[in-house]
Amino acid sequence: MLIVLVTGLAIGSLYAMMGLVYNVMYSTSKVLSMTTGHLAMLGAVFGAWFMGGLGWPIWLGLPAAAAVGAAFGLLTDVVAIRRVITRSNEHLWLLSTLAVATMVQQAVGLWWGTEPRPFPRLVPQDPAGALDQKYWLPIVLVLLMAAGLGLFYRKTMFGKVFVAMSEDAFAARARGIATNRVRAMSYVISGALGAVAGFATGQLTYAFFAVGTLLTLNGFVALAVGGLGSNMGALVGGWALGIISMVASHYFGGEYQQTIAIGLLMLALLVRPQGIFGTRQVRAV
Amino acid sequence: MTASSPWRGALPRLAGGLALILLPLVVSNQYHLHLASLIGAFWILVAGLNLVVGYTGQLSVGHVGLLAIGSYTFAILAGKHGWDPILTTVVAGLVCGLCGFLVGLPSLRLPEFYFAMSTLAFGLIVTELAVARTELTGGGVGLPAPFFPGPLGTPSGFYWLILAAAGLVTWLTWNVTRFMWGRSLVAIRDSPVAAASVGVPVFRAKLTVFVFSGVTAGVAGALFSSLQSYITPDTFHFELSLFFFVSIIIGGRGSILGPFVGTAVLTALPELVAPLAKLGTFFYGLLLLLVVLLVPEGVGRLVQRVIAALRPPVVEHHAIRPDLDRLRAALRAGARR
Amino acid sequence: MIRAGGVVLRAVGVTKEFGGLRALDGVSLDLRPGEVHGLIGPNGSGKTTLLNLLSGYYEADAGHVLLDDLDLSREPVQCRAALGVARTFQTPRLLGSLSVLDNAMLGGWPDVGASFVGTALALPRARREETEIRERARALLEGLGLGYALDRRANLLEHAEQRFLEIGRALVLRPRFLMLDEPAAGLTIAEIDYLGEIIGVIRESGVGVLLVEHHTDFVFRTCDRVTTLDLGRMIAHGTPEEVRKDPEVVRVYLGT
Repeated sequence: MLIVLVTGLAIGSLYAMMGLVYNVMYSTSKVLSMTTGHLAMLGAVFGAWFMGGLGWPIWLGLPAAAAVGAAFGLLTDVVAIRRVITRSNEHLWLLSTLAVATMVQQAVGLWWGTEPRPFPRLVPQDPAGALDQKYWLPIVLVLLMAAGLGLFYRKTMFGKVFVAMSEDAFAARARGIATNRVRAMSYVISGALGAVAGFATGQLTYAFFAVGTLLTLNGFVALAVGGLGSNMGALVGGWALGIISMVASHYFGGEYQQTIAIGLLMLALLVRPQGIFGTRQVRAV
Repeated sequence: MTASSPWRGALPRLAGGLALILLPLVVSNQYHLHLASLIGAFWILVAGLNLVVGYTGQLSVGHVGLLAIGSYTFAILAGKHGWDPILTTVVAGLVCGLCGFLVGLPSLRLPEFYFAMSTLAFGLIVTELAVARTELTGGGVGLPAPFFPGPLGTPSGFYWLILAAAGLVTWLTWNVTRFMWGRSLVAIRDSPVAAASVGVPVFRAKLTVFVFSGVTAGVAGALFSSLQSYITPDTFHFELSLFFFVSIIIGGRGSILGPFVGTAVLTALPELVAPLAKLGTFFYGLLLLLVVLLVPEGVGRLVQRVIAALRPPVVEHHAIRPDLDRLRAALRAGARR
Repeated sequence: MIRAGGVVLRAVGVTKEFGGLRALDGVSLDLRPGEVHGLIGPNGSGKTTLLNLLSGYYEADAGHVLLDDLDLSREPVQCRAALGVARTFQTPRLLGSLSVLDNAMLGGWPDVGASFVGTALALPRARREETEIRERARALLEGLGLGYALDRRANLLEHAEQRFLEIGRALVLRPRFLMLDEPAAGLTIAEIDYLGEIIGVIRESGVGVLLVEHHTDFVFRTCDRVTTLDLGRMIAHGTPEEVRKDPEVVRVYLGT
């Protein structure tokens, strides 16, 4: 049972990190990108390739995987967001990010293969049951990531610009903020964070090309349950989703994961449409 | 949907229909006939989905789930239990209509991205369950699906059956789009605020159309499984959903012909052009991206634009000038009882 | 309350807050058939909020919206349209990919009795309703002076054409009450005159018109009664002559 809970917490941490990545992109663009989960997939696949395939050490493999994620984040912004976001309220971004997500998944599938491959151990540690690195790495990382983002938003100039843009993009532009550049930067950051998340969780998910869609979905469920735009919400929602789905599949079998996830989402939205930590938006005609 | 007479364009339609009917007599290659049947089966689903995505603007990316349910219903009832295939096809449609209702009821109230994610999850859930419920679906091993009886079981006969079903579904959707319902659906897509202001019950209309798309997906699934003769959960991979979706977006929102051409071309191309088959879904993603970036209204609209550019309309500036007597008369004629 | 000539649409003491900010504070207003009621006030005075409450886009925090004796306060937008409450928008909300005639015909939705299945099967009822609504829309559009543009895609229209088409769509609904949200904005002087004439004809047909406008001259010229809002409160109410002379109104508008 302990191992079930720990697995749930670890997987939940990955979902929570996906939620954080959604938030970083959402803050500057109001876009929920379909590419979010694929960033983690890239981190895992490239991490496995750099370290397992090319034999690089972790101090080289980790930044390199993060760089791949960051580059893909930038590419997403340039290709799928920049040209689309200025157009009227049509939700074209949903289609363009879906297109990019599909392309990256298939490209990785063609290059890397469609079978899951193992991810190398990151820290010298003997297999240690519930205390193994494959569990504590994501849990520690999500805490670091949430705390780091909190500091970034509150303490740095750049973070404050993010916050200003998320509150009112028009006002931010009027004050002379180069909104295009800030948005691109947020996509770079989110790309790096997503890839690092996938890197740290690689031993659980394996380096598998198709894992991105599931993470896009479950990260979103976590965030929607916790409250869109809230990092605290992403944490709570992610852990709740991870633990509930692991405990449930312990009792009912592992084939019902998505059923449970979406059931949780529907239930949560029914009770509290804006999520646990979300704020209700006033809609004007 | 415009004021033009319904007879305009009847001749090309008639010719096109005739060509489709005569196809099995012309095509000697059995594989090509199979391909045509496959296009027909997919089109039955896409035609219904087109009302949801193309007209009402609800981005459902999970219709592969409904296709799978229709296919399994057919394989189980007509195969295992020996029900009549025609009857079972109808039952599959009803079952999927019900599933559409159950999926749409909670998710169609949600904002756009939430809805897309819910349908995505639905598509994944169905495959999950197909793998899990081995006693019903054969699990990963899959199930055989029976042929239709008698002449309908031959390649040509089955093609004609699919063609008839596709023709019927096309006619139904065409009717929906050309009458008041069509306007209300486009209003929900382009301006829900305007739709509500004239009394369109936005949620109910969305749900109705979604249920209809479920019925067509169920019928398509039944025909599809008989066409494939064997189905496994892998038959219904998520990329198939993307394929339906992309056919509509590429063909153009708010058109029937565009998505039809999209379905036909996207089904046939990878089969006929080997390198594209290798790229597979990557190619769909690329197409989707190109269309969204370059012609968000779809290729069909692009063709219209090119035609319009070749034959520029005379747009004379017209100062607006009300005719108060006619207005008075019109208001009197339309007065409430 | 005197009931002159039929049903009255009323707001009674309505209050609406947005995140602690009181946009409307106990405002009452009644709209009678065959009367043009002007609603004026500076930016942010709550005019559009009141219109949104009357048409059902917002729900009042306190107070009621009544159609005669019927309490509409909790009824959604769709029901109000069916009861004959129509409106236009500050920025015209048209369906750019459809023709002008199609756009106007959308207003005929409350008269559609054909079900989805009946429509899909093209049953006679669907065809009949289609023809009726098309003829009504065509006649109204011609009366509004848009007869030359029936087949034009709505996204190719000029500004005045868009505004008049929105009025056309609302009239196809056969409203008892018509609420116009800044219909004169962006129109030329000649077009504003036409608008005034059109509103006159609509009043004549027995429809109650609520005219929300910035353009005070136009309001005083066109309306039978005028209500003035400032910071969510009603500061004056009466005939155009009374309101024009009201010291509060003068203060608000001249900013002394």
